[in-house]
Amino acid sequence: MKTKRQIQKEATRKLILDAAYQVYANEGFSATTNQIAKAANVSHGTIFVHFPTVDNLIICLLERFGSEINEHLHLLSEKDESLETFLAAHINVLICYEDFYKRLISEINSLPQEAKYVFINIQSVVSLHLNQVIERDKEQKVVKEIPMHIIFNSWLGLIHYYLTNNYLFAAGSVLTDHKDELILNYIKLIRK
Amino acid sequence: MKTCIACGMPMKKESDFAMGDTSKEYCVYCAKEDGSMQSFEEKKQSLINFTIKTQGLEETVAEKAVEAMMRQLPAWKTRF
Repeated sequence: MKTKRQIQKEATRKLILDAAYQVYANEGFSATTNQIAKAANVSHGTIFVHFPTVDNLIICLLERFGSEINEHLHLLSEKDESLETFLAAHINVLICYEDFYKRLISEINSLPQEAKYVFINIQSVVSLHLNQVIERDKEQKVVKEIPMHIIFNSWLGLIHYYLTNNYLFAAGSVLTDHKDELILNYIKLIRK
Repeated sequence: MKTCIACGMPMKKESDFAMGDTSKEYCVYCAKEDGSMQSFEEKKQSLINFTIKTQGLEETVAEKAVEAMMRQLPAWKTRF
């Protein structure tokens, strides 16, 4: 049984993470903790009671983001799903977090090393699901003889290119506008 | 929804659980053939191999990423 104090502490922590998510999505990871405190409606010092450093705040935020994506993707994925269904599920999950994810992939190289590892692990969940689908398709000999990491990195490269260059392809959500086209043509590239 | 203590995978269906047993705290991918949970070293090596195979990472990077992930999981807390 949690005490009132613990419940309050967790609520404030969540409030800060929610605000950080929104501020980083809007402003990028160079946004200040002052901006986050203002958005969360807490004092600047309160942030450091919950997160000793900015790096720690970013890492905790990415871990929470990773868990959400993990759970979301797992719920959308089915055991015997087709490649089309899985790719659509992946894009649908990213659409839910599109602004934040766009910032993340654009700025990952400037984030702390530990955050980069969290980012790799976020992608591992996607690669786990994709690998299951591709292994099955390979057994049925419907996929070209391409190494798994090239299949995965090509998919990620394609959607990351569209996301980081959103302005070239769409006025609003590039994933919403180009989802069907990307899935259809990616499959044409890797299928026999 | 339960989450695997050894790899963090959400477990929603019976087939997600080791031996299809929903009372287990670890998933089908973290179980050995006899149903027991893989050891720390076994799990770490299989995760490294998997990350290299599916993402093409350089081995040291894969190892560091896997360690960062395992550090967060209840099954391996005492190993770090």
